[in-house]
Amino acid sequence: MNAPVTAETPDRTGGRPILAASGVTMQFGGLRALNDVSFDLDEGQIIGLIGPNGAGKTTLFNCLTGLYAPTSGTVALRGERLPQDPALVTEKGVARTFQNIRLFPSMTAEENVLVGRHVRMKQGPLASLLHGPKFKRSEAEARERTQELLEFVGLSRFSDELARNLPYGDQRRLEIARALATDPAVLLLDEPTAGMNAQETEGTRRLIFAIRDLGISVVVIEHDTKFIFTLCDRVLVLVQGELLVAGSPDEVRGDPRVVEAYLGAPPEEVEAQLHGATDGEAPGGAHRKEDTP
Amino acid sequence: MTTTTSPAGAKSNSPIPAPSGRLHRMAAPLAPHATAARVAGGVLTIIGTYLPWATFVLNEGRYPEQATLQFFTVPFGVTGFRLHLLIFGIAAIVLALVRVPGRGRILRGVGWGVVAVSILNGLYITVEGGGLGAITAAGGAVAFGAIVALLGGVLIVLGATAGGIERRPEWRWRLNPWAERGALVVAYLLLLFLVAAVLTAGGTGGAANPYSGAVFLSFLGALGGLLAALSASGLLNWVAALAERHRVFSVVVLLVVALALPLTAAGNEYWMTVAANIGVYAATAIGLNIVVGLAGLLDLGYVAFLGIGAFTAANLSGAAAAKFDVHLPFALVMVISAIVAGLFGAVVGSPTLRVRGDYLAIVTLAFGEIFVRTAQNNIFGLTGGSNAIPGIPQVELFGTRFSDRIVVGGIQLPAGVLYYVLIVLLVALVMLVFSHLKESRLGRAWIAIREDEDAARAMGIRTGPIKIMAFLCGATLAGFAGAFFAHKTGTVSYESFRFLESVTLLAAVILGGMGTVPGAVLGASLLFVLPEKLREFADYRLLLFGLALVFIMRFRPQGLVPDRHRRAELAHDPADEPPPGGTPATRTEVPA
Repeated sequence: MNAPVTAETPDRTGGRPILAASGVTMQFGGLRALNDVSFDLDEGQIIGLIGPNGAGKTTLFNCLTGLYAPTSGTVALRGERLPQDPALVTEKGVARTFQNIRLFPSMTAEENVLVGRHVRMKQGPLASLLHGPKFKRSEAEARERTQELLEFVGLSRFSDELARNLPYGDQRRLEIARALATDPAVLLLDEPTAGMNAQETEGTRRLIFAIRDLGISVVVIEHDTKFIFTLCDRVLVLVQGELLVAGSPDEVRGDPRVVEAYLGAPPEEVEAQLHGATDGEAPGGAHRKEDTP
Repeated sequence: MTTTTSPAGAKSNSPIPAPSGRLHRMAAPLAPHATAARVAGGVLTIIGTYLPWATFVLNEGRYPEQATLQFFTVPFGVTGFRLHLLIFGIAAIVLALVRVPGRGRILRGVGWGVVAVSILNGLYITVEGGGLGAITAAGGAVAFGAIVALLGGVLIVLGATAGGIERRPEWRWRLNPWAERGALVVAYLLLLFLVAAVLTAGGTGGAANPYSGAVFLSFLGALGGLLAALSASGLLNWVAALAERHRVFSVVVLLVVALALPLTAAGNEYWMTVAANIGVYAATAIGLNIVVGLAGLLDLGYVAFLGIGAFTAANLSGAAAAKFDVHLPFALVMVISAIVAGLFGAVVGSPTLRVRGDYLAIVTLAFGEIFVRTAQNNIFGLTGGSNAIPGIPQVELFGTRFSDRIVVGGIQLPAGVLYYVLIVLLVALVMLVFSHLKESRLGRAWIAIREDEDAARAMGIRTGPIKIMAFLCGATLAGFAGAFFAHKTGTVSYESFRFLESVTLLAAVILGGMGTVPGAVLGASLLFVLPEKLREFADYRLLLFGLALVFIMRFRPQGLVPDRHRRAELAHDPADEPPPGGTPATRTEVPA
């Protein structure tokens, strides 16, 4: 499975940077969830973000999308600092999906994507009230675009189905379609293949490549390292809030520190650390539940 | 982790619902004799209609409508419940023997209708007659009618359940478009007569007709059975589909039909007034439906906006007690009242930026209370305090006062008919506003906020202004209704806008079905017709009313006319829901 996929993945490092995080630090009371994280996302690039549970991956997403205000550090899109309001960030062109799917369950698939069109629709309250010709045009445009997107992610047949009734994998895809409806420049995907079987995961991989080919830069959080290494142009490894390693999939794969972060130190060392731990930085901390909004 | 698909998955994997629930267990032994039980139930019902129902002549004489012993001996000399039971009984026998699609389900509806009618009348006679003797045997007179009919009803229900409840049949008929429109006209005319019949059932009540409450309830029970049977046959869904296909046409016909109500048996001053009041609360309930039903923001002080609209109108109406000595035309007053109420709505909505859920409900509750106290204390002299603002002049158009009786084309119309026409048009306008807003960018944003506020923000919805818009729009609609209310009743007092009214409005929205227009109207109608009709039960009125609410919520939590979304969410009749897109949702397990 690996060979054809890597062949599809030309080296895309070195494009113009579109999203830049510099020195992002997030402090929750006494807990430093992110410590001085900096990275650049280049145009048309797919970046993978991996790390053990509780490493701060989702927290980083929340900082990038304005859901959290970082304690220090900045996030900039095309050199312009992003506001600290999720709605405004989305308007600027950064869209996201959620680790635990957050569709609007009692709306149809089409309506979910239409909500995504919200920021791109020119339709004031008065137009909503009067339903004039201009309203009808904007509504028709939005619906057309929605159908395109549903087609793009392969959900056309579910257009009128309630989101809650969709199969799990399709819910994830619908969430991606909804995010794409905001016409983003950067798409942040939080564990897009969680709970999927091998076939669905492969479908998601192809979908992400197709999104990249639309000129959208993508950041993916994922636990499936094989998926990440065959998908991404660059991989960032986050461990306990710190950026441990950043580089091409091959560089990251070979790095002993990554192996250690994932598999843990050899058992004797863990024992020794547990008994000797006095600074509160127990390795068990890595199992802290991921922060979710 | 999310496992939202699991209920849907379970639902769609079983096309025929597995028999479950107490009723199914009770009916199980009857399964081999289902047809026999159905026929026997029908026969018993018919016998019940011919048997005497009471062992004596009720104290006040007539029940229903006919004096003396005739009531016990001549079943069809009286219009009323016995005729309904007879029809149900015949229908049950016919359906037991003739195979029609969905007949088990239809029979179940018929059976429940029989049960409801016989229990209601039996109970009423028992209570009024002083005990069980009133419906069994006393002084040589034997009156088992109620018991036999009840037995028949139970047998029909059990027989229907035992034979298996099929999926509701779906009619895919497509007729000539004009034939379909004709069918719609017929359906709406029937609806009109049904409404008139409900309103006039049992008469207007009061001292002259002590049984009106019982007759009305019994009629309602029969109607419930009839509607359940019709709905089970798929007819109602077919009509709904027709209405959907000819949307504009059906809206126009419905409007005409509504305007024709004064020409029916319900066309008297009393019902015109009740209908106008219903209209006021229906319009307000639709406004509240924006806030609660669409945006999901619980507002417990909503009636205050109706009050603000009413007091604004009262002060601009030229009434002697008004603060401002102006007399503006009614149309202008309405617009001003709506704007003022809308502005207050925006003010009250502003805490929604900071508080959510229960806390917001408390804030709105407090606002409602502030309004009532302020009005009670006549602050700034705007509300007249406990003296209220009386003497608000009637609306006039071309020299005709809206409270007068008028003659159109030789037909004498009841007094207050112009107010009725005005409120029908107003409610129609409010409905139009609601459905336009719902089907727009703004409406979708409201629903998205209701569903998941954080996700809505992540989709670029600026939730603050959008939520305030919900309050503003809802309050504006209530303000319109308030201006009408002030002129129709002629007096505006703070007492009309207490907490109980807010609760009733909320109940109307929830009862009717959140997020739908017909739901809010139906809910408001029920909540204001029922108390009118139940006057005979004076002391028990609120108790009965509360019980009715509890029962409806128990057996139909999605409301009487549910939103299609909410229907999917709360319906627990698996046979009603076709599997989504033909593809069952199966994968539900999600690793953390």
